[in-house]
Parts: sequence; structure tokens; C-alpha cells
Amino acid sequence: MATSGGFKQDMPPSGGYGPIEWAKKIPKRLNGYLMFGGFIGFTAGAWLVFAYGQRILAKRRTEMNDARIAVSPLQLAEQHRMMLRRFRENRDEEAELMKDVEDWEVGSVNGKPVYHNLRDRFIMPSTEEYFAHVPWYRMYRDVRERYKH
Amino acid sequence: MAYRTDDWLPSYEELKVPELELTSSVLRAGSLYFGKYCDNQCKEFMLCNAELNDPRKCLAEGKAVTRCGFEFFGKVKKNCLGEFNQYWKCIDHSDSDMAFKNCRKTQAILDTCMTEKVGVERPPIGYFSKVRVHHTDRPKPQLKEHILPEPMPEPPDPKTTEVKTKIYPKYYHL
Repeated sequence: MATSGGFKQDMPPSGGYGPIEWAKKIPKRLNGYLMFGGFIGFTAGAWLVFAYGQRILAKRRTEMNDARIAVSPLQLAEQHRMMLRRFRENRDEEAELMKDVEDWEVGSVNGKPVYHNLRDRFIMPSTEEYFAHVPWYRMYRDVRERYKH
Repeated sequence: MAYRTDDWLPSYEELKVPELELTSSVLRAGSLYFGKYCDNQCKEFMLCNAELNDPRKCLAEGKAVTRCGFEFFGKVKKNCLGEFNQYWKCIDHSDSDMAFKNCRKTQAILDTCMTEKVGVERPPIGYFSKVRVHHTDRPKPQLKEHILPEPMPEPPDPKTTEVKTKIYPKYYHL
């Protein structure tokens, strides 16, 4: 239907336009029972999965705890020996350091013991006392060492 | 220093013991088997510490634990060295906390070797976390008697004795 001058008239498609959609369209809704049922079912399933996962994690944690408990006596024994050796070294060091001072008794202040210890209990010295005869930075380093692992 | 010259501290000779120099991954890998093998010594040592709370008095028990550790790891080295090396190397590269969960295959190989040659079965999960009863011959420790100073004399009874005191006015400044 080409006319002279390249003009073409727009026409409706063959068979005409479809009917005009004028009615209100409401999407299909799920049943209320179905929705509540679905929610409860999904939540129950999620709970089950969560509980199952937690059991697996608890088992792993328990095994790890077991391993720590099993070797702790070994480490504690070594630690105690190291600590007692340091006490003795500290005492010897103090005796050597203060040998020229008159009336100096190791572990006492003005001739009296530092602690009131009638029942001969074990006394854990303070950190500053434990690290008294090493350079000051050693104390900070060794105390911080504990928090690294 | 908290200790005087006459206070008892163990000598250097008593404290000088060959120490078990093992790295953390090896200890972690052998921990459960070690705990099962040296169960009695470990319990004895921990009981001593809990009862006395004094490392000076639990030295012998601690030495027994270390000796048992030497015995156990020596046996492992003699019988299951290849399997154990494989396992601890796996543990060393397992997660950030040397977890057991990634090394089940090598663990199964080591388990069979341990049960057959060393005679230690891997304890079930939660074996050491449980409370276990320990039967021992250790006598229950008694603390030294606490000698208290002489008590102060009783004050005189104000009902029977006449006490003469000067009574001051309450608001003397007014």
C-alpha cells in the first residue's frame, strides 16, 4: 500500500484490537489455613535443623574440652616446677644482693615475716615480687604471653 | 620475697626433671590417648593440688605424671610413629584451634594402631569432661592446728560493779 512520497497509513492489526480490560483484577490469594500451616511447618523444620546443628557443635566443643583437660596435669606439673625454681632463685638472689646490709633477713620486714602464716599454707607471691630480679619489661612480656593463646 | 631462709622450698636437684618438650599440636594430637594411659597418675596429681593447694607438696605426683608422659610418648614413637606423625601434622593445619573434626581419616588409622600396639583405646566423647570418681590410698590431709592467742579478760559487769565516770553535758557548747 505504498503511496507516492513514502507515506504509509497506520492501521489496526489484522483481526482488530483485543477487548479493553476494564474489570478489577484481584490476584489469587492463599488460604489462611495453608499460610499458618506453612509457617508452623517451616518453623518446626528450622528448629529441628538448628537443634541438630547445635548437637554437632556441642560434640565438637566437648571433644576439645576433653583434650584440654587431658593434658592439663602435664602442663600444670611442669608449670609448678618452673615456678618453684623461680622462688628459690629469687630468694638466693635477694640474699646475694643484700649480704652487705646489716640486720637484713631475707623474706622479712624489720625482723618480722611478711605474711602471718601460722598454718604453713602456700603463699603465692605477687606478680611484681615474682619478677623482681629480671628487667621490668620481662614482667609485662611474660604476663601478656598468657593472653596470646 | 615471701619466703624466708628457713622456709621450705624444694632444692634445684629436686626440681630438675627431664621435661616433655613437645609442641602444642603434638600434645593436642596425643592428648586423649595420653589422658587414658596416664589416668591414675593425672587424677592423683590433680587431687593433691585440689586438696593441699600447695605445689611444694605435690612435686612427687607431678613428676609421676611427667614420667608417665615420657613412657606413653616413647611407646607411641616406638610403635605408631608414622601414623602419629601423619595425624599431628593434620591437626597442626586443622582450623585455627587445631580441631579434631578435619582429621577423622588419619585418626581412624591411628586409632587402630593405638588399640593394637600400644593398647590404648580412644575414649568416647565427653570422657574427661564427666565427673569421675577416683579411688586412692592418699590419707586425707589435715592442716596444722591454728593456735590462737590468749583471750582478752572479760570486762567488769556494770550491774554488779559501781563504775564512777564523769558525766559530761550533751550540749556543753550552747
